[in-house]
Amino acid sequence: MDGNHTLGLLMQGLNHVTLQSLVMIGVACVLMYLGIVRKYEPLLLLPIGAGCLLANLPLSPLLAEDGMLRVLYDMGIRNELFPLLIFIGIGALTDFGPLLENPRLVLLGAAGQFGIFLTLLLALLLGFSRPEAASIGIIGAIDGPTSIYVSGLLAPHLLGPITVAAYSYMALVPIILPPIMKLLTTQSERRIRMPYSQRQIRRRTRILFPIVVTVLVGTLVPFATPLIGMLMLGNLMKESGVVERLTQASSNEIANAVTLFLGLAIGSTMVGSEFLKPSTLAILVLGLVAFTVDGVAGVLFAKLLNRLSGGKLNPLIGAAGLSAFPMAARVVQRVAHEEDFENFLLMHAMGANAAGQVASVVAGGVLLALMGAG
Amino acid sequence: MRRYTLGIGGREFVVDVRELDADRFEVAVGEQRFEVTLQGDEDLPDARVTPALPAVGATASAAPKATPPQRTVRPRAAGSSLSALAAPMPGVILELHVKAGDRVERGQAVAVLDAMKMHNLIGAPRAGVIAEVCVAAGQAVGHGDTILRFGD
Repeated sequence: MDGNHTLGLLMQGLNHVTLQSLVMIGVACVLMYLGIVRKYEPLLLLPIGAGCLLANLPLSPLLAEDGMLRVLYDMGIRNELFPLLIFIGIGALTDFGPLLENPRLVLLGAAGQFGIFLTLLLALLLGFSRPEAASIGIIGAIDGPTSIYVSGLLAPHLLGPITVAAYSYMALVPIILPPIMKLLTTQSERRIRMPYSQRQIRRRTRILFPIVVTVLVGTLVPFATPLIGMLMLGNLMKESGVVERLTQASSNEIANAVTLFLGLAIGSTMVGSEFLKPSTLAILVLGLVAFTVDGVAGVLFAKLLNRLSGGKLNPLIGAAGLSAFPMAARVVQRVAHEEDFENFLLMHAMGANAAGQVASVVAGGVLLALMGAG
Repeated sequence: MRRYTLGIGGREFVVDVRELDADRFEVAVGEQRFEVTLQGDEDLPDARVTPALPAVGATASAAPKATPPQRTVRPRAAGSSLSALAAPMPGVILELHVKAGDRVERGQAVAVLDAMKMHNLIGAPRAGVIAEVCVAAGQAVGHGDTILRFGD
């Protein structure tokens, strides 16, 4: 008996291996493969994959009460600290200059959020609850930290699949956007050249911009205050030029450390019993719908603006109205350059992209307000 | 801002052109200032200058070679000049793929410009022989700065 008991104790790891945990270890390996081999958002997918792997090992002590992954989750996901810290770094890296040079581009940022709300309605039709549907819709922001922030507040049990979907689709921006852009535009539209605007933005304007946006958005959409506040804090530090060390730390050391913690903690939520559900598949599909509709709405709205401007606006830049900064803008430049090697839309696309960054945060705040989150 | 020093009929005119927007310029000729709106921008190699100039020679030290009649100022933009290639946006020249004396085809990559952390291939606006490469790898350029000139 004692021998059997001892053997049981020694073998308890093997005894607790389940089919679900094996499948999730497979999922973890796929995420790590995508990050390491395919270079899809490796900074996120590798830690998420590792967190998922560690969480699904039998009797994982890392998920116990004082286990490291549980501690990371409690200290940075449950209270939304990690996505907000990352937003400071994003703000410190974002150049709003192209948007300030051409403020009309803010309209494209707004159009790029259409998919969020359409997907929310689709998710409701599929039977998801209102908070769940809002969390799924926010994948359409194509903004990892915003998705984590909103779903962490509204539907924490869906955090794993929503985060994986948000970051996966962010990595797929260069693959998913170009066909949409080409399908919805004519060759002559894609060849429209937009002269580079050389308007000089004063330092005072660059410094006032984050303060004014924070006050404005924070007043109009109070639920967006944490996100927009941290985004603009990072930008204010960058533009002020007087806290170079803090700017560097926010965009490098802090952002890197928090990215590791965030990835591990998100990965730890991907345990088989929560992840291996039909709802996960639905979330991945709906996320793709949200992303696609964002791209379509952005390009179509830009086509409308092109008509109104007498053919001066290249509709391709509408696709940059997403949040995936600066990847979406680069994709726009690449597609335009393929059509006409003398066409450089990059600065205009960057303006639309920066607008998309702000708009997605506002959209997140609007969703939280609609859901009555606190 | 760009300064054109024009010699017309033996008199010298200094014209300062400041770009306010993509199609708006402030032009200062001596003490007078004008706000100019650019209505069109195209190369018209066979265009005749109107009104016809008197027989006296007119030279320009920095002005473009042809001035279409419908506009006051010709902006500097990549590929718009047949004699030179200008930077389409601010950035840093990362690589130069050509040197003086090289023959290039239209569209051939001649330089890589790093703008907003994106590597942009800059193509030759026409076929021809490069007379001069005006920038070096690692050099920061502004919008409209000349990257290279053609010799033919």
